[in-house]
Amino acid sequence: MAAFIPPETAVKTREEISKSNLRGALHWRYFRRDWFKFVFGIFLPLILFMIFIGYPMLNTIYLSLFDWNGITKTMKFIGLQNYIQLIHDPHLSLSLTNNLLWFVLTLIFPLMGGLVLGAILSSGRIYFTKVLMVLLLLPITFSMVTIGTMFGLITNPVFGALNQVLASIGLGFIHPDWLGPNLAIYTLIAVSSWSGLGMTTLMFNAAMGQVPDELYETAKMEGARAYQTFWYVTLPSIRPIIGIVTVLVAIGSLRAFDLVFVMTRGGPFRRTTVLGYMLFDEAFTKYHFGYGAAIGTVILLFAAVLMYFYIRQNVLTANN
Amino acid sequence: MDNIATNKTDRNPSKEREISKTPYLARIIRRYKLDKILFTVIAFALILIYEYPVILTIMNAFKTNAGVMLGPLSLPIPPTLQAFIASWNSLDFPLLMRNTAFLAIVGTLLAIALSAVPAYVLSRFRLPGGELFFVILLTGMVLPQQAIIVPLYAVMQRLGLLNSLWGLAIVHGVYGMSFTLLFLRGFMASIPTELEDAARIDGANDFQVLRYILIPLTAPGIAIAASLNIISIWNELFFALIFLTDPNKFPVTMGLQLMTTSIQFMSWNLPAASIIITQIPTILLYTIAYRFIQRGLTAGGVKG
Repeated sequence: MAAFIPPETAVKTREEISKSNLRGALHWRYFRRDWFKFVFGIFLPLILFMIFIGYPMLNTIYLSLFDWNGITKTMKFIGLQNYIQLIHDPHLSLSLTNNLLWFVLTLIFPLMGGLVLGAILSSGRIYFTKVLMVLLLLPITFSMVTIGTMFGLITNPVFGALNQVLASIGLGFIHPDWLGPNLAIYTLIAVSSWSGLGMTTLMFNAAMGQVPDELYETAKMEGARAYQTFWYVTLPSIRPIIGIVTVLVAIGSLRAFDLVFVMTRGGPFRRTTVLGYMLFDEAFTKYHFGYGAAIGTVILLFAAVLMYFYIRQNVLTANN
Repeated sequence: MDNIATNKTDRNPSKEREISKTPYLARIIRRYKLDKILFTVIAFALILIYEYPVILTIMNAFKTNAGVMLGPLSLPIPPTLQAFIASWNSLDFPLLMRNTAFLAIVGTLLAIALSAVPAYVLSRFRLPGGELFFVILLTGMVLPQQAIIVPLYAVMQRLGLLNSLWGLAIVHGVYGMSFTLLFLRGFMASIPTELEDAARIDGANDFQVLRYILIPLTAPGIAIAASLNIISIWNELFFALIFLTDPNKFPVTMGLQLMTTSIQFMSWNLPAASIIITQIPTILLYTIAYRFIQRGLTAGGVKG
């Protein structure tokens, strides 16, 4: 959830686009009239995209076959050696486990929590829901550095607030080291969940606002209880959004870097390393660029699967 | 109040029976919506706990060094600006802010300039391969930055854009393009084509249609995309960490990040004050434009 998750979920827009395509779309023959559209509408964005995103994407795979320190011009072709080394690297399994843990736990907390909060906020049983939403969404304006620093202060074992709160409510006998080897990764995930909760709540709340009232009225007439309405009416209606938020949460956990960097630097004892941090460490502090590219390829592989789901959900169904 | 109630029930005997069956307390609760008030109070109590880390940070930022010694939970009495002044002096905030503002403004302008025309093309013309073009540009939105950072570093090195604010702003602009394009495309598609047709009949070319008709009509969409881009660039760390080495070019996230490793981190008030200073612009933007921002975040999502 670095910066913000670009939360693109197209349900209505998709219909609008296809509708407008039917109504006012111009055939591509008309497109050829002005040079302006070619240059600024296609070539310039495409070229910049290729330089800064497309080419690096392919080049990651190419560079992963080389031994390169990133500074000198000489690169030594070593075939799949980087990958063989990577498989035997104990940090890889540690990183993969942490990334997976990050994904599963953010599925439970921000996703499920957002679902429940979204349902509560759209139930009409609370006043000032808009104020609540504004407050809940406040963390999206903070950088991960800010959030990491804030929670670094709170979880500090010496002068942190969390242990003092525990002590003040009579739980002083639990004074864990929140950033110690055993708990650190859970603390990081909890902090990340804290910052992502507003986002998921907002998306689910907005999606629930779009569910037609007739469905709820029918459910009410049939005598459905609140949880039954939620389970049988609300959840099926917002299923596409749940899918998209799941993919976004997965991408967010794959992207996890800033919090790890600010709060623990992968430590203690490399226990909080994630794929993104491992790559940074290998490539930009140890100057193993080829090895870093191999880790990048692993990330790219996971990202490709997620991108497939994301794009299928968003775009390819758009015109059907 | 009672009279009115009895009058009503008199007129409707079936309703009277129903109401008299329900207990007195339940009737009171229903009449004054006490349950709704109770739920609201609970919700605000919970949100207060949720925001407690932020409140705590603000509280500690207004403490003196001696006040911090009393523990993080104590109230800042009397509140002072001592920590703000000290952190302003220890970090070069004007420089950091200027760099970040440069990145945010140039990056955002670039993202919008790069995506406005393709958004127009994709929302108005049926091109062979148009969908593919769109999908390709969209990958930038979900691609983890780490996946491509090694070759991107090499590219930036070859273009001489390493350690340059312009270079970083261009990268931010290209990355922001995907989201902006997606959002503006949806926005433009929802605008009726009649005005455009009229302009075309009057002899306007594509540039004029875009400049005088579509851009003014999509101004709210552009504002939404701009505010989201500004916030995300303001808070960005990873690219700045990789591409910038000169401390005179650091954005605020880098300055803050360096501070967390320094000796100041041994107390609460200085880091807390620095955090608040760095986030003031985004919080201001959020309070001014939260409606826009919320709408942009659910973009296309639920409704454009």
